[in-house]
Amino acid sequence: MATVFMKWLETSPRDYDRGIQLLTLGKIQHLKERIVREYIHPGMRVLEIGPGTGTLTAMMAQRGAVVTAVDASQEMLEEAELKIRSAGLQDQVTLEHLDASLIGEHYPAGSFDLIVSTLVFSEFPPEEQRYVLEACRKLLAPEGRLLIGDEVVPAKPGARLLFYLVRGPLVLLTWLITRTTTHSLRNFDSLLAQRGFQTEKSASYLGGSLTLFAAQPAPAGAFEPGLPAPVIDRLEGRVTIWTALLDLWLLFFRIIPPYPKKRTGLYAVGHPNPDSPVLVTGNFDLTVRRVVRAIAGKVDAWLLVADSAGINVWCGAGGGYFTAEKVIAALKSSRLEQVVNHHALILPQLCANGVDGWQIRKETGWGVHWGPARAADIPAYLDNKRKKTDPMRWVKFPLKDRLEMVTVTVGFYALLILLPVFIFWRSSFWPLTVSLLGLSYFYAVVHPWLPGRDGLAKSIPLAAIALAGRFTYSILIQPLPTLRLFHWAVGLIGLSVFSAAELQGMSPLMRGEQANWSWEAVIALGLGAIYWLGPLALGWR
Amino acid sequence: MTTLEPTFLSSLKEHLTFARELRHLEIHFDPEKCKGIWQCYEVCPIGCWTPNYEERVAVFHNPELCIACGACVLQCPEDAIELRIPD
Repeated sequence: MATVFMKWLETSPRDYDRGIQLLTLGKIQHLKERIVREYIHPGMRVLEIGPGTGTLTAMMAQRGAVVTAVDASQEMLEEAELKIRSAGLQDQVTLEHLDASLIGEHYPAGSFDLIVSTLVFSEFPPEEQRYVLEACRKLLAPEGRLLIGDEVVPAKPGARLLFYLVRGPLVLLTWLITRTTTHSLRNFDSLLAQRGFQTEKSASYLGGSLTLFAAQPAPAGAFEPGLPAPVIDRLEGRVTIWTALLDLWLLFFRIIPPYPKKRTGLYAVGHPNPDSPVLVTGNFDLTVRRVVRAIAGKVDAWLLVADSAGINVWCGAGGGYFTAEKVIAALKSSRLEQVVNHHALILPQLCANGVDGWQIRKETGWGVHWGPARAADIPAYLDNKRKKTDPMRWVKFPLKDRLEMVTVTVGFYALLILLPVFIFWRSSFWPLTVSLLGLSYFYAVVHPWLPGRDGLAKSIPLAAIALAGRFTYSILIQPLPTLRLFHWAVGLIGLSVFSAAELQGMSPLMRGEQANWSWEAVIALGLGAIYWLGPLALGWR
Repeated sequence: MTTLEPTFLSSLKEHLTFARELRHLEIHFDPEKCKGIWQCYEVCPIGCWTPNYEERVAVFHNPELCIACGACVLQCPEDAIELRIPD
């Protein structure tokens, strides 16, 4: 079930397009048409940051512009390429797989007459917005222009209230239909001014909540180039009411989004100096807090939080969300080289399945060291002069972790199974709850000793134990009619298959995690249906 | 409901196919290409790789424990490691 849920969470480029249309009530198309109508001329050299599925890219090329479009998402680029090819515009469009933070180094200064970006800047943390704007100023030719179309939080209190009232339900609806959401810019006018741009005019839609900023670089002499020294927050491993509540939520409902994220960028843990080590991690809030908790008070270090889509580093890397590009983007936009006087990054070992260490080494010149698998070993690893012992490399699945993972799934199933049962079939609520929790936790405890390598195989002995227990109880303490016992047996076998299969995807040691999933689903759902409908047919309910 | 549109179902199907393939993937290691950088040993979370210091090559063992995570494949600078379904 978790797999189905996780798959449903994934957005396709088409979902994204529909989501954006819905969120902007179709006005994004008006904004794009305006860009083409007012700013695009034939032969113009245009850089588009984050083309998405390439709608605007194709429109600008059709008008005669020579467009270079960079996107960090390979999936989006493939979709854009289809669009460009089918329109026969491939001679005018160059699509590049590149993170926005790298454009400044990738293209020569003054290469573009226009830089355009829609609904991209609001996805960046402030430090990255500054960094990319700085690069844009460099890449624009004299008289060049920057166009940023994005969602903004209206400045006037009345408009802002209306914005939140309308946007709240719209965001929820859009997310449910397309699993797509966007963020909104704040005070972007002043950020543009700070970074040496003069805003010429801005068109706005939807009561000011969708805005097109048009800006030109301030004339030479009017602006001091270069970014101010980076602001670095300090992280402390303190427990507050908020973190305790968050931990409680994440204990039961970890797989339900939105995943709490930490702002990407550079942080200090303890009192690091320019020689202190740099640790890299993903931006899942729980991950960051666990790393900080593991090292605070023991090590003074810099912590570079890269975008892993709010997912833990192993799953984020395995799913293609946490990549070398993301680490490089964080490295560049945090301007780490101005903060430390070495060039060594320590990456979590478990992101090695998706973060290409050689790509980072080659593109940045920074050294990549694979740290320990677990954050708890970081202090010992650093004390040991960045040498790992074998136990630091190896992943185990100890009882504590198994119990945690079962709890993570149990919260989800409580919503999915137990809540409907509570509402529609209250007499079965307690037997089912006790059986589901009992079986899941029992399975977590005995997991390593059950024969079989996958969940389906392991569910057979689990079901046997459950049935033996139930029958013994019936013989010794409370006799039940045969048919009732059979009903129980159907339910227990179904639940055994279900709970064993579910933990499989959460185990780091089982390969082909959900390979038997379809069988498990058929068996568990089939038995569940018999368990549910049988009593109806027999007139028990 | 839009949730059961082809994109969702096809991505689910793709995932199942991938999961089935994952069970059959095996590590193919070419010791000739190996230069003894031992990134595989550095990143394997299971302990399937060990360095042979005398001959400066990596040694793959415990294939039955491999979870096919792909870390060694990605981090090998010599492309000496492949994950594939045996013919």
